[in-house]
Amino acid sequence: MGEMNVIGKRMAMTDARAKVTGLGRYADDLSVPGMLYGRILHSPHPHARIRSVDTLAAEALEGVKAVATGRDAPTPYGILPIGHDERVLALDKARYIGDNVAAVAATSPEIAEEALRLIRVDYEPLPAWFDPLESMKAEENWIHEKRAHNIEKEYHHHFGNVDEGFAQADFVLEDRYYCGEVTHAAMEPHSTLAVWEPNERLTVYSSTQVPFYLHRTLSAVCEMPMSRIRVVKPLVGGGFGGKSEIIPLEVAASVLAKKARRPVKITYTREEVFYAHRGRPITIVDLKLGITKEGRITAAQARIVQDGGAYCGYGPVTVLYSGALLNALYDIPNVKFDGFRVLTNKPACGAMRGHGTVNARFAFESMLDQIAARAGLDPVELRRRNLLKAPCTTPNGLRVTSYGLPECIERVAERSGWAEKRGKLGKGRGIGFACSHYVSGAANPIIRSNMPHTTVNIKIDRDAGITVYSGASEIGQGSDTMHVQIVAEVLGVRPERVNLVAADTELTPVDLGSYSSRVTFMAGNACLNAARNMRAQILGPVARQFDCETDDLEMRDETIVSKNGAGVSMSFDDAVALAMVGEGALVAKGTYAPPEQARGGKFKGAGVGPSPSYSYSAQAVEVKVDRETGQVKVERVVAAHDCGRALNPLTVDGQVQGSVYMGMGQAVQEEMVWREGRLMNPSFLEYRLPTTLETPQIESIIVESIDPEGPFGAKEAGEGSLAAAIPAIANAIYDAVGVRITDVPITPERVLAALRAKEEAEKGGAR
Amino acid sequence: MTMPGFRVIRPSSVDEAVRVLADNGPEAMVIAGGTDVVPNLQMRLFAPRVLVDIKGIGELRGITCNDRVGLRMGALTTLTEIAEWKFVERCFPVLGSAVRSVAGPLQRNMGTIGGNLCLETRCLWYNQSEFWRQSLGGCLKKQGDVCHVAPGGQRCWAVWSGDSAPALLTVEAELEIAGPGGRRRIPLAEFYRNDGMNRIALGRGELVVAVHVPVSSAFRRGVYRKLRVRDSIDYPLAGVAVAMKVDGQGICRAARVALAAVNPAPQLVHAAAERLEGKRYSAELVEEIAHEAIRTAKPLTTSASTPVYRRDMVRLFTRRALEELWQTRRGNGEKRAG
Repeated sequence: MGEMNVIGKRMAMTDARAKVTGLGRYADDLSVPGMLYGRILHSPHPHARIRSVDTLAAEALEGVKAVATGRDAPTPYGILPIGHDERVLALDKARYIGDNVAAVAATSPEIAEEALRLIRVDYEPLPAWFDPLESMKAEENWIHEKRAHNIEKEYHHHFGNVDEGFAQADFVLEDRYYCGEVTHAAMEPHSTLAVWEPNERLTVYSSTQVPFYLHRTLSAVCEMPMSRIRVVKPLVGGGFGGKSEIIPLEVAASVLAKKARRPVKITYTREEVFYAHRGRPITIVDLKLGITKEGRITAAQARIVQDGGAYCGYGPVTVLYSGALLNALYDIPNVKFDGFRVLTNKPACGAMRGHGTVNARFAFESMLDQIAARAGLDPVELRRRNLLKAPCTTPNGLRVTSYGLPECIERVAERSGWAEKRGKLGKGRGIGFACSHYVSGAANPIIRSNMPHTTVNIKIDRDAGITVYSGASEIGQGSDTMHVQIVAEVLGVRPERVNLVAADTELTPVDLGSYSSRVTFMAGNACLNAARNMRAQILGPVARQFDCETDDLEMRDETIVSKNGAGVSMSFDDAVALAMVGEGALVAKGTYAPPEQARGGKFKGAGVGPSPSYSYSAQAVEVKVDRETGQVKVERVVAAHDCGRALNPLTVDGQVQGSVYMGMGQAVQEEMVWREGRLMNPSFLEYRLPTTLETPQIESIIVESIDPEGPFGAKEAGEGSLAAAIPAIANAIYDAVGVRITDVPITPERVLAALRAKEEAEKGGAR
Repeated sequence: MTMPGFRVIRPSSVDEAVRVLADNGPEAMVIAGGTDVVPNLQMRLFAPRVLVDIKGIGELRGITCNDRVGLRMGALTTLTEIAEWKFVERCFPVLGSAVRSVAGPLQRNMGTIGGNLCLETRCLWYNQSEFWRQSLGGCLKKQGDVCHVAPGGQRCWAVWSGDSAPALLTVEAELEIAGPGGRRRIPLAEFYRNDGMNRIALGRGELVVAVHVPVSSAFRRGVYRKLRVRDSIDYPLAGVAVAMKVDGQGICRAARVALAAVNPAPQLVHAAAERLEGKRYSAELVEEIAHEAIRTAKPLTTSASTPVYRRDMVRLFTRRALEELWQTRRGNGEKRAG
């Protein structure tokens, strides 16, 4: 690849101006004439049979245009084909405090809320399940009849032979790790505007990461063919997984719009966002690890229980990721995994940045430090001794094509001053190290098919403007800019010439969505293929005119020139005009489907984990611990991320910093607090996300391993750096004050309790 | 979230405000900066018929300070104005330290000292949406008959969560209150009733007009230490304000310690004043006062942090504040809480 003009350059996002000036339009900014305001009635009970719903008084209220209950939309749905267990409005049972029971559309929000107060629901409360370990033992009152003992799914995988592995080990450690529940906390609350069109069609503008799946689900629940529904994604103010499955308000607004034959908008309150949830589950990890005295890992065994809440959602995928990605970071010959996804009477968990891997990685990287201490090894050296030899395929069938982890480790160790600092930072200060990785999209689609995962179209007409049509969903991660960069690079034009039309099911071809960090790799490859096809269409006529081969030509600086500098020079506009002779508008298409050999094994659950490529990350964190308050201050983070190639280093830096920030929040302060199924902190005041003031200096280092199959060698950048942040902080606390915290979040109370226990033990030992 | 319907009245004088408040009684609510009232209205904690917006009353604005009457802050003085008042660090460092710790810059720009001194008490079981509270059948303070913090009890334990009040207690502030019967001045300590349900002693038609701090308590060293998760925005989980005068020989000439967020009222640690006065620094004495502080603090499960931890921190923060103020040559420099 020659010198590049757009790829690899720091470029402001194409939607940045709209966002920072406030002119950008998110779903809640949209309104249309005659629009109604929708509101949803939620269950006050964690588990209750619904005997009846009386909506008469609500319907009679002036200004109310439609009231819907479960009977208006009885078709069950769910993001996974094996988990269609949700209804937009409960039909027979409410399964958590906040479950959706009825919905109202009225001429003002005040009237809609008043109408909710007039709905009478006759509930028969049922015994409820809140603790996953208790729920697994349930003999009756199962949350879903068909899910015995409230177990949504369980998986048991064994690769190699862990018994033999542990027998070969010189050091074997077992411990339990607990991670509290966290949520995405995207700045934009979910919002949907559903417009019932005069021609009996439905147009839905929604804050979604997955317009295509929303399209399918609306078709099923509203009982309309997909061809009569259009889904449009406006600007989205952050997703992080919280908008990556169908959220009840999207369906409720559509059902109400169809019933009222009017446009209906619903925007969640922040509290409702917490009930819609789909965040990272409470996770209990029982981990066992063995190493030789030389520091080679011989076996790893994990039993992982996830508290999934009341519905399936992405649950089976979450638990499978937690097992599958025990592999593909280090070389581990023997791995055993027992995973349980358990139902409880709380809002449904789902995909959240670092889906499934984060809590298991916290346990694993913490234990690596613990066992390194036992064996008298430097924790970084222990990691160095267990690197993969890529390219390779792991025992569970994951194909690793590019592997920048060694460089990540070395550069972080160097930049952070690891060797000089570990154990030497002085009283109350410490440094910790950890690694992580993530998929660049799932090699197997959620709904199995042999169609490509993405298609991108490009059109050039007489204005010589380039319009790119992609179904990919910009959610703040840089998807739109990525498309523009790729096309501008291939066609040798300024980015300003490229206009992107994205995520509108009427205009753009299907992309599966913005989840599992798939967009750069998959939509990027489709876009690259489309641009190359377009390039061939433009260069062909130019080559014929100048009587040369297209291979002799290159496109750069808005012109077509000979590679060897001889003869040909034609402006982009003229070249396009030439190509359109007898053809009219130029249209090109590109697609992407992961190669067969990337799709993994054949065992039950093998479909989750395989990816065309994996990102790698290493981090060092410095903390200061106040021994008297237990407060932990994260002071500095050095994070290296192998993203294959940084198409836009500016956004890669942003993604790495955002991932570290989010991991830090989970590590030290964020947690959803439950009392009998009731969320005690459904607000940004009480669910304490860090702000910029609590966020340390985060130095990101971009490592480019140039993936053989990624677009320009790129792979994911948005998620992989999250998981390392949490154990790196725990490891730094250990370095600072000598206590090992195995429960997250690492609150001051927990640190103080551990410090006091340590003091007691030391006193006891001295006696 | 929508708000309940109400009428807004904008009086232009204190007399007019008092008249409107007296006429409407419990149906009326005063709004100034709105940082406390608006979210509470959205949560339907109140449904006033009349909202009395006092922002147009000029008499309620501004800071005056001289060696005759001391400090007078009009009730509408914003927390930012106090934080940026050029003499605050020299004259009343404990006040500067406390107001700078309130919420975030946006709230300090909007929020007023009068409003901060009249803040609603807070509780995890109370400061929730209408839906949330109703799912629980309400609580003692609102639409229910059970206290979820102390079940079986008939007392509301919602905590005092204002930061400026404990600071002003340590400099013996007084409140100027206007009412149908004219003006009155009361010590700030008498304003608080230590009842989560009925937090302040304001009668029908009464309005806080100004805060006064006597000259005699100027130049005390002082600091407010606040336990919170985020330095950027949080209400206190516990707060300790200390102001003291130390002479050239290191002898304490006056001292006050007050607490926030561990009782339904901001509270002075009464033993501190007499035990500290006339004494030289000693670690034992400081520990003794810290112990008195936790005897005054009665934290319950009204906020995210545990009562045990909050008591521990009240003791620690009291100790740290006293050590810092007593042992430095000029003890009004502020350090971060914790």
